[in-house]
Amino acid sequence: MTKKYLLFMSAALTASFCAGSGNAAEKSVALVLGVKGSPFYQALACGAKAKAKELGLELTVSAPDQFAADSQVPVVNAVTATGPAVAAIVPTDMQALIAPMKQLSDRGTKVITIDQTIGDSSFVQTQILTDNEAGGKLAGDAMNTLLGGKGKVLVITQPPGSAAQDARTTGFEEELKKYPGIEYLGPQYQSDDPQKAAEIITSTLSAHPDLAGVFSTNDQGAIGAITGLKQAGAAGKVKVVAYDAATAEVNAFKNGTIHALIAQNPKQEGEVAMEAAAKLISGGLLDKTTLTEIVTIKAGDTAAAEKYEYKGDCE
Amino acid sequence: MIRLNATTAGGNDAERETGAERLSRLIGGGWIFLLLFGLIVIFSVMRPQQFGSSYNLTMLAVNAAILLVLSIGQTFVIASAGIDLSVGAVLVFSSVTSAQAMLWLSGTPGGTYGTTDGGWGVICAGLAVALVSGAGWGALNGILVAYARIPALIVTLGSLGMALGFAQILTGGVDVRAVPELLVSEIGAGTIAGVPFLVVIAAVVTIVAAIVLHLTRFGLHVFAVGSNAEASRRSGIRLRTRIVQIYVLSGALAGLAAMMSIARFSTTTIGGHAMDNLSTISAVVLGGTSLFGGIGSIAGTVIGVFIPIVLLNGFVILGIPPFWQTVAMGAVLILAVWIDQLKRRARERG
Repeated sequence: MTKKYLLFMSAALTASFCAGSGNAAEKSVALVLGVKGSPFYQALACGAKAKAKELGLELTVSAPDQFAADSQVPVVNAVTATGPAVAAIVPTDMQALIAPMKQLSDRGTKVITIDQTIGDSSFVQTQILTDNEAGGKLAGDAMNTLLGGKGKVLVITQPPGSAAQDARTTGFEEELKKYPGIEYLGPQYQSDDPQKAAEIITSTLSAHPDLAGVFSTNDQGAIGAITGLKQAGAAGKVKVVAYDAATAEVNAFKNGTIHALIAQNPKQEGEVAMEAAAKLISGGLLDKTTLTEIVTIKAGDTAAAEKYEYKGDCE
Repeated sequence: MIRLNATTAGGNDAERETGAERLSRLIGGGWIFLLLFGLIVIFSVMRPQQFGSSYNLTMLAVNAAILLVLSIGQTFVIASAGIDLSVGAVLVFSSVTSAQAMLWLSGTPGGTYGTTDGGWGVICAGLAVALVSGAGWGALNGILVAYARIPALIVTLGSLGMALGFAQILTGGVDVRAVPELLVSEIGAGTIAGVPFLVVIAAVVTIVAAIVLHLTRFGLHVFAVGSNAEASRRSGIRLRTRIVQIYVLSGALAGLAAMMSIARFSTTTIGGHAMDNLSTISAVVLGGTSLFGGIGSIAGTVIGVFIPIVLLNGFVILGIPPFWQTVAMGAVLILAVWIDQLKRRARERG
């Protein structure tokens, strides 16, 4: 055992010399994503990596196992220990991330939030986000156009509590009020679970065979919705407007089962975050919020769908 | 009851064991500690100012505190050949009932965002609610396992869904909006002699649990039930009562962890803790407690809790891509259980 242990130790020492020193340089930037393995955040990381290279920043990307505070806080703590010059974080909870992010800021790191927001933004240099309510309104307009102003419409979203998803639903509901011909059936909830979304669609179709349109506030709901529509033989007939442009959504869009996409631009969000970081390092000041792009991709516009597709296509 | 004496019996035969058996007995005993120690040494050598900083080591301990309290309860359950999948959901349920009780008892908003001015009385009431909620779910689990004879895996899987569902019903899926400022600042972020309060709570729970499991009759009964339930019943142990007590203990500790979670995150984190059950089970198994019951230790569980936390922290500090941490954790778990099997085989031969 002792011999083995010594071998182990010497291997460790060798490894450490090879790895070189890792002192937090003045140009070090940490990016903490919302969750591992999501195409949206992978695309955001790709945008950030490309921009960081261009600007000469040393970027490290990390992410928690789940989109949840208890999973993310240890990651933020570890980033705090490395003491980067700037940290760009996707806070997974409005409240729970305040303390650890404040601590990070108190230890001299400049903090930026991306994609999601936080309850106390007094110590945050800038919030990079999209206007989710405006996105919901765009979806409402797209739905009205698709339906020619009349029909029954259902919303599939996450249970209340996610600020972004709630805002998309609110925006959509507000916009529908302008169109008296549309009958709103209200929201149904799924927790990032396509299976649940499919069940919602099939049971809604039993109750309302004349369902005309579905708006899903995220990709998992959209994937489940089109599965449910296919199962019920109503794919293509019922108009689907979906938030985001994940690969599965873009494929469904090309196949004509999704009729409009409300796409964000995660790569741009990553790029904007790195530009903000570079500005902060050189001592510049930023606006409190930086809005990034949001677009409606209308039926048939496959070029735009391909352009905006969320892809983690970098190393 | 035979396995209880296996260690001493093995000791008498020590001179007769072969080299391979001796090796497997040795690594079975202390290898997991060496693994943790090795990880800490590697990370400290590679990033001395960052990993080895007192800030980072404190944060490691705080990150471990809540999971440790849950894992202690899980150790008792698994040592008695049971399993508790509901710990994370019971934590969420207890944090919701407790936070709602505290919100109802306290009046005006506190000094910072999302807090109330609730005093120590309110916090004690909240703690009582959390412990009772947790123990209640534990009692339900225990009664269904012991009296209705439904497998623990199914019972706790069912109560996982029910506890989480009720938590969502009570809140409409939205985290309770405010918790006492005092709880967050004094317990969640406070320290005693430089040691974070949450770590002190976890340490006290660990020491008391180690004494109970290894030095009391209750602890002996836990191992006896896990080793051979029928034999322990025939030798006069009140089997059903003991099983209920074990699950109540696990539930109550989940309630305590709920209070710690509120203090730390200053909210109820309904969307979180989904993987807590698997994290605690893997920590307990990593620590050498057998999934088949009858063997286990609190000290092992402490090490088992720290390994994934140190791995995550070290990987983030080194800047290793996040997916590799998941792979490494899976590999370590399988290795641990394999070594557990080697250990058992060596023991059965001895």
